[in-house]
Amino acid sequence: MTARRQRYRRLARTFLANPTAVTGAGITLVVLLAAGLGAALMPYGPGEADFFNLLSPPSWLHPFGTDSFGRDVLTRVMYGARVSLVISAAGVAMAAVLGGAAGMVSAYEGGYADLVIMRVADLLFAFPAFVLALFLMVVLGYGSANVSVAIALTYLPIFARLARNMTLLVRAEPYVEAARLMAQSTPRILLREILPNIAAPLIVQATIGIAFGIIIEAGLSFLGIGVQPPTPSLGVIMADGREYFQRGPWVLSLTGLAISVALLGLNLLGDGLRDLMDPRLRKSAAQ
Amino acid sequence: MFPKAALYVGGRLIGAAITVLVGAIAVYVVMKAAPGDPALAVLGENARPEAVAAFRLKHHLDQPFWSQLAIWLGGLARGDFGLSLTIAGGIPISELIAARLPVTVFVGLYAVAIAVLISLAMGTVAALRRGRALDTIATSVAVLGISMPDFWLSYMLVFAFALGWRLFPAYGFTSPVDSVAQAIYSGFLPALAIAAPMAAVFARMLRTSLLETASREYVVAARSFGFSPGFVFRHYVFRNALIPYLTIIGLQIRYLLGGVVVIERIFGIQGMGSLMVDAAFARDYPTVLACTVVFLGIVLLVNVVVDLVCVALDPRRST
Repeated sequence: MTARRQRYRRLARTFLANPTAVTGAGITLVVLLAAGLGAALMPYGPGEADFFNLLSPPSWLHPFGTDSFGRDVLTRVMYGARVSLVISAAGVAMAAVLGGAAGMVSAYEGGYADLVIMRVADLLFAFPAFVLALFLMVVLGYGSANVSVAIALTYLPIFARLARNMTLLVRAEPYVEAARLMAQSTPRILLREILPNIAAPLIVQATIGIAFGIIIEAGLSFLGIGVQPPTPSLGVIMADGREYFQRGPWVLSLTGLAISVALLGLNLLGDGLRDLMDPRLRKSAAQ
Repeated sequence: MFPKAALYVGGRLIGAAITVLVGAIAVYVVMKAAPGDPALAVLGENARPEAVAAFRLKHHLDQPFWSQLAIWLGGLARGDFGLSLTIAGGIPISELIAARLPVTVFVGLYAVAIAVLISLAMGTVAALRRGRALDTIATSVAVLGISMPDFWLSYMLVFAFALGWRLFPAYGFTSPVDSVAQAIYSGFLPALAIAAPMAAVFARMLRTSLLETASREYVVAARSFGFSPGFVFRHYVFRNALIPYLTIIGLQIRYLLGGVVVIERIFGIQGMGSLMVDAAFARDYPTVLACTVVFLGIVLLVNVVVDLVCVALDPRRST
């Protein structure tokens, strides 16, 4: 028990010593708080129109200004961030579960299963990500749930490859051998022995994946074939702001700026966590 | 030596062709599984039965699935993607693509050129000044570059360079077929917007790769011979660091083409990307299908080329 506590303490110390990870975690935390609670704290509703305040520039009352319906843009951005985050996270979660399972089975079973699974992953990976997402939206139809599915399918091969490579590394470890000798079932070995030991890189990948998913959602909705208004996702707000970009540039500009900050946080967090896991870098940091 | 190299190139090309074929079949099957009748989508819900029957006959929709697939694949082999449905009713899709592909290839290459120029400078400076202020600045700019959505960046560029300082046009693009100089000028902002996130990824890769190569034993040995630092950098470090750099360019093509799709539309560039988006809006299924396959083909072709360049730089890789 104390050994475990010591391990956590050491982990926390290395984390705090990594400025990239700390900055990323800080920004991500602020973004999550704003997305989770911000909209509820604001005096306006995301769809609340004020016809005396159409397209008013940023001010103390409306830090991000108002849009063509007089709606407060900051409120909408915080609400939209929640929508976009949920869509992206759902997509990445699907990709992680399916891709992770496929990659683990592929590496553990080998043979034909490996061949077929990895060829499918290679094929998915060969399509330009956004083109594949666009194609899927045409096939599946527009809407939030299908954006998640499109994100999942474009990100799935990345998880499959990662899970496969990591599983190959731990497959021959003594504890896996021991479990196999005890005649444990394959699903049990995969879930109880292998998964906990390859989870860390998958989680890091998921952090970066959520950033990627937000860009895909924003891009699709910006074109008008993703999330459909009146649901205010970040892409929908930007598509709206594009209509009157010359008269009210703040709607598009500040929404995009908010996305950039959120993605910056996620990317820094992902980079920092990756550094923490890389033993080569950890050693050089300790020196 | 030559036949072996030819064999390698041939093998890579055949592999890419097989992937395009399997990919084409996959997207075709998925597209056919989608709900909705293309005949009704084009002619309207209240179309006369005779018109629907004639439409189905013309587009081979009256035949069983397998022969439809065979007809489509047979056309694909000849570069014939069938007829467009709604965006340019009845015009062969191959004609639409032939008109737009050069534009997209131009914009794409332009973006890669910009990204390579920026990243070579940024990555090299960051690696040479590792841990100093310039490195921190370059590395931070790179993370920022990855975090900005490219379509938002293009609006910011338009805001500053087109609406503000009036240096570049905000909208419209002259095809390189008409005037190369005009194409370079009018394509600068879109190419820069597509290039920015890629430049960031390339620069990070180059920095890591340069630092890793610089600590290799043969570099230490070269230094111990008393070669000048500049000589060692150019001949021992840089050349070898280029291989992972080129590989990442090949991998990033799939994101570059994604950027092309959105940004062509923002700047009104009549390329493959805007064709695909227009087709998606009009529910012109065969055109969407054709664009998807062409984009897949571009990715695979670029990766074969990148692979060959890597082999030329490091012949060990071909065996």
